[in-house]
Amino acid sequence: MEFAIEIDNLNVRFPARGSTVQALDGLSLRVGLGEAVGFIGPNGAGKTTAIHVLLGFIEPSSGHAKIFGQDSRQSVARERIGYLPEHPDTYRFLTGRELLRMAGKLFLMKEKNLRERIDAVLRLVDIEQAADRRIGTYSKGMLQRICLAQALINNPDLVILDEPTGGLDPLGRMDIRKLIARLRDEGKTVFFSSHELSEVELVCDRVAMLARGRLVAEGPVTDLVAPGESLERFFLRTVAGPQSEQRATPTSREMGNRKQKGHRP
Amino acid sequence: MTKVLCITRIVWLDMLRRKDVYVLLILLGALLTALVSLNIFGLGGLVVYVKDVGLLATWGFGWILAVHIACRCLPQEEQRGTIYALLAKPVTRLQLVVGKWLGAWSVTCAATLAFYALLTAMVVFQGGTAALDGAVLIQGVLLHGAVLAILCALGLLFSTRMHQDAAATLTYVLSFAAFIILPRMPGLMARASGWHGTLVSIVYHLLPHFEIFDMRKRMVHDWGAVNGATFLTVLLYGAVYTALLLAIAWLAFRKKRFSRENLA
Ligand SMILES: Nc1ncnc2c1ncn2[C@@H]1O[C@H](COP(=O)(O)OP(=O)(O)OP(=O)(O)O)[C@@H](O)[C@H]1O
Ligand SMILES: [Mg+2]
Repeated sequence: MEFAIEIDNLNVRFPARGSTVQALDGLSLRVGLGEAVGFIGPNGAGKTTAIHVLLGFIEPSSGHAKIFGQDSRQSVARERIGYLPEHPDTYRFLTGRELLRMAGKLFLMKEKNLRERIDAVLRLVDIEQAADRRIGTYSKGMLQRICLAQALINNPDLVILDEPTGGLDPLGRMDIRKLIARLRDEGKTVFFSSHELSEVELVCDRVAMLARGRLVAEGPVTDLVAPGESLERFFLRTVAGPQSEQRATPTSREMGNRKQKGHRP
Repeated sequence: MTKVLCITRIVWLDMLRRKDVYVLLILLGALLTALVSLNIFGLGGLVVYVKDVGLLATWGFGWILAVHIACRCLPQEEQRGTIYALLAKPVTRLQLVVGKWLGAWSVTCAATLAFYALLTAMVVFQGGTAALDGAVLIQGVLLHGAVLAILCALGLLFSTRMHQDAAATLTYVLSFAAFIILPRMPGLMARASGWHGTLVSIVYHLLPHFEIFDMRKRMVHDWGAVNGATFLTVLLYGAVYTALLLAIAWLAFRKKRFSRENLA
């Protein structure tokens, strides 16, 4: 069986002032073709590091990663990937359309094909009206959208999104959710990290949960969570132990306290 | 090649759309005109003087532009985080290094050519077309281009592992030393002996010999063009030196782990 992503026993250590930080500790993970997999875990768990290895930004200390069967360190492995970075930013002196043209050229797309594709992705992320404006004048949400558009320019088979809804308003988040569902319906593989667990629950076939660089849970959401339990409760139970579960939803007394504080002058 | 040119284009658009670059160019142009026409040293009217001061200024400006542009290309990508989206495309790090160098070099060359055009116009204005030897001018401009190629590669090399300000400072110091000290070193080498002599000799052969590219005296005093073989050998030296620097830059950049914090 061919996998979109194969990660085998990955270790990544960063030097940190006299000691080392073990960002990934023997991570192994597989993502099948056409799957939508949510990559979750607490801050500093190693999600971004794993994604960076997949894209060849970081050479692992040991282990290896493959994209569609090709070593992730080779540039050809990135032909079929679309990637949205954790803190998306881009050349602010370009217009949206110029950015997409440049991105398409890096995939050696033909002119006619490229022109059509640019219009299609601009429509897809709903930013057509600002396409000919400098990106420097965009709002944060628009910047996120144009970065998403450049990730999709090559009509990728594998879409890797690192916290795609970070900093977006509820409407923007819903759009991203719809987009992920649409990509999945088109048969693309979607691998995305997120802290919005309710979203992950809605759009993912499967989740992979990371803590301190290790895979601590993996499978379809319905298999992982107990009946009636939310993914958030499961997350807290797994990552921080059963006591922390109680923190998941505030008790009515806590709510009462908060209201009182809110009313103080 | 398309991918390399795509990256080069980013450098061009960045430069063309930044106001500070125009301000710098206009200031330098005004300075060049003022130096030449204001007759500061009381030698005005002498075409030789116009050429001498003008060429010195043009070399100085080219130097500043090359270092300024080359040292910011890569660190900017890292600080902004734009490097992630770029390297997530099927682009190799070698293509990135070469594309950035080509961008920095071509932008610098274009600006320097504009200064040469300005200078030529002033010389012709003062002394007529006879005051200018076309062959020497062409040789001089091409060799100046080779110097700028080396400077850009040097700046880019340092910027692979340093903050852009540190890289620029180091490039200025090293190239200034190469320009000023190297021509005087053979005398030093004759006197030095032992490990000291070896050290001086290593430094002498390692640093770029900018002085052999310098045709300014020939241009000023109309000494005529150098012979073709010498000219080509010097150009070849420039090309090989640039290629070596770019190869080292690629080695330094090949496995680099990026971090915005390191550079912010
Ligand atoms: N360049 C670096 N140098 C040193 N340590 C690093 C570097 N990059 C990441 N780390 C460390 O590796 C660990 C994993 O970080 P990573 O960014 O992968 O976490 P994450 O799961 O993406 O977190 P978040 O949800 O906050 O984005 C952290 O402890 C982090 O401090
Ligand atoms: Mg992260």
